[in-house]
Amino acid sequence: MSIEISHLTHLYNQGTAMERKALDDVNITINDGEFVAFIGHTGSGKSTLIQHLNALIKPTSGKILLDGEDINADKTKLKAIRQKVGLVFQYPEHQLFEMTVFKDVCYGPKNMGLSEEEVKNAAEKALSLVGLDQSFYDKSPFELSGGQKRRVAIAGILAMNPRVLVLDEPTAGVDPRGRDEILGAIDHMHKETGITVILVSHSMEDVAKFADRIVVMNNGHVALTGTPKEVFSHVSELEEMGLAAPQTSYVMKGLKDSGLNVPQDVYTVDEATDVLYELLKQVTK
Amino acid sequence: MDTMIKTENLRYEYSVTYEEKGKNVTKKIVALDNINIEIEKGSFVAVLGHNGSGKSTLAKHINALVRPTSGTLWINGYDTKNDEFIWDIRQSAGMVFQNPDNQIVATIVEEDVAFGPENLGIEPDEIRRRVDSAIATVHMEDFKRSVPSKLSGGQKQRIAIAGVLAMQPECIVLDEPTAMLDPEGRKDVINTITRLNKEKGLTTVLITHYMDETVGADRIIVIDDGHIVMDGSPREVLVQVEKMKSFGLEVPQVTEIAYNLRKKGIDIPADILTPEEMVGAICRLKSAI
Repeated sequence: MSIEISHLTHLYNQGTAMERKALDDVNITINDGEFVAFIGHTGSGKSTLIQHLNALIKPTSGKILLDGEDINADKTKLKAIRQKVGLVFQYPEHQLFEMTVFKDVCYGPKNMGLSEEEVKNAAEKALSLVGLDQSFYDKSPFELSGGQKRRVAIAGILAMNPRVLVLDEPTAGVDPRGRDEILGAIDHMHKETGITVILVSHSMEDVAKFADRIVVMNNGHVALTGTPKEVFSHVSELEEMGLAAPQTSYVMKGLKDSGLNVPQDVYTVDEATDVLYELLKQVTK
Repeated sequence: MDTMIKTENLRYEYSVTYEEKGKNVTKKIVALDNINIEIEKGSFVAVLGHNGSGKSTLAKHINALVRPTSGTLWINGYDTKNDEFIWDIRQSAGMVFQNPDNQIVATIVEEDVAFGPENLGIEPDEIRRRVDSAIATVHMEDFKRSVPSKLSGGQKQRIAIAGVLAMQPECIVLDEPTAMLDPEGRKDVINTITRLNKEKGLTTVLITHYMDETVGADRIIVIDDGHIVMDGSPREVLVQVEKMKSFGLEVPQVTEIAYNLRKKGIDIPADILTPEEMVGAICRLKSAI
């Protein structure tokens, strides 16, 4: 499902002394099946933007088109839009409330009015997509690790069969193993279902590894957009915006400054290992 | 060196009750077991461990928010089990938590920083001095009269740190203070913590999931399932890539790259912790060819 954000402006507290422009004439097109990451400093407008995507907040001016249809045009269609665009908030595990993992994931599809059989199938499929097998079904969500809880919360959204999945910092406060589990599950789910994924993150390393395209937000504007390689080549601009590049790119820059001819667009541990191995293989033990 | 924190056979357990097959079942959970550590005054200690490993429970023991089921923890010589010393204990060790929005209580920055000393019953003149000095220490003078909600995440955490400093503790415990911050906010907070430790000799205990934040610590303690499983300098601990991964942790990207290169037969030092060290090591190898 494609999303077109057209001339989107959002003012908080419009018409008061507290008025603040959170988004200013934002134009972005997200293609069907794309994995797009949004980065930007705190207060850059990322969260305001993604809350527009399923009409949780409405534009002050401008439009959001979902497969060409203005999502705010007809109020009676809001329920359908919110089912198509699933939003996973920060700390989604705080929203788990059922006695068992399986019941919790069933909650969404049940409320969509599906039959018992359909609800069961939807929940099973969603849990398998995030890598949680039957042994988890009867567990209490509170017995699970941080990464597992988040995956249950994501499954709860997936069970409603959305066409777009929006995740707001899904790995904040999770340990490294949990983070790899969550991102691995999102990546697997994206490849398996072809659903459009929008990921908001503060981790440049994660964004470099998974996203097809990165949108950089700064003070309510789109400052940069492109593939990870394109965006992370603008290290100094990113730093001025309170962001950074993955640690590997600082190594490559340091080597270049020392006169060594190495590629600069290296953003993951595996890529860097290969590049540096080529560089150093004459000095093997 | 004097000791700031000492534990002896510290154990903490709690019970949970849940429903299983229609019956209530009570299970005992051991969160910490056989913890014996000694932390020197003025040192900077990073504590690592996966979610649920017990590291936050240990942090909460340091200022008696949680007390041992058995064994003892002394902070600045005070046994945390002793109610008589509770104010001395809380004043010895201040805590900063993950979410800045949950720990700011006032509507003006300097009033928020004054909240702690006010509750200690300190004279107004002295409060004024402490608040000004704490705000200056975290470099937030320009925001003294600001509304906290208008600050960035990193600025809010620096205000939370100033609030702790105004109580003049000897020790600060930070439980994932950067988890919710953007890259600049993280850098901001880590630089502030490091500076306070070096300049003021403030004993610092930092809990984090970001390995690059531990590089500047004097010591890293790794907790797994309630036990201390690793304890040493960053160079000693972070080079043990396989072991760290077995505890659900990771190492800085450059340390992992050095590890990968060594596995492929490249003779590069294993204990590379920063991009600068990596660049230096590669240049030395290249010039040897």
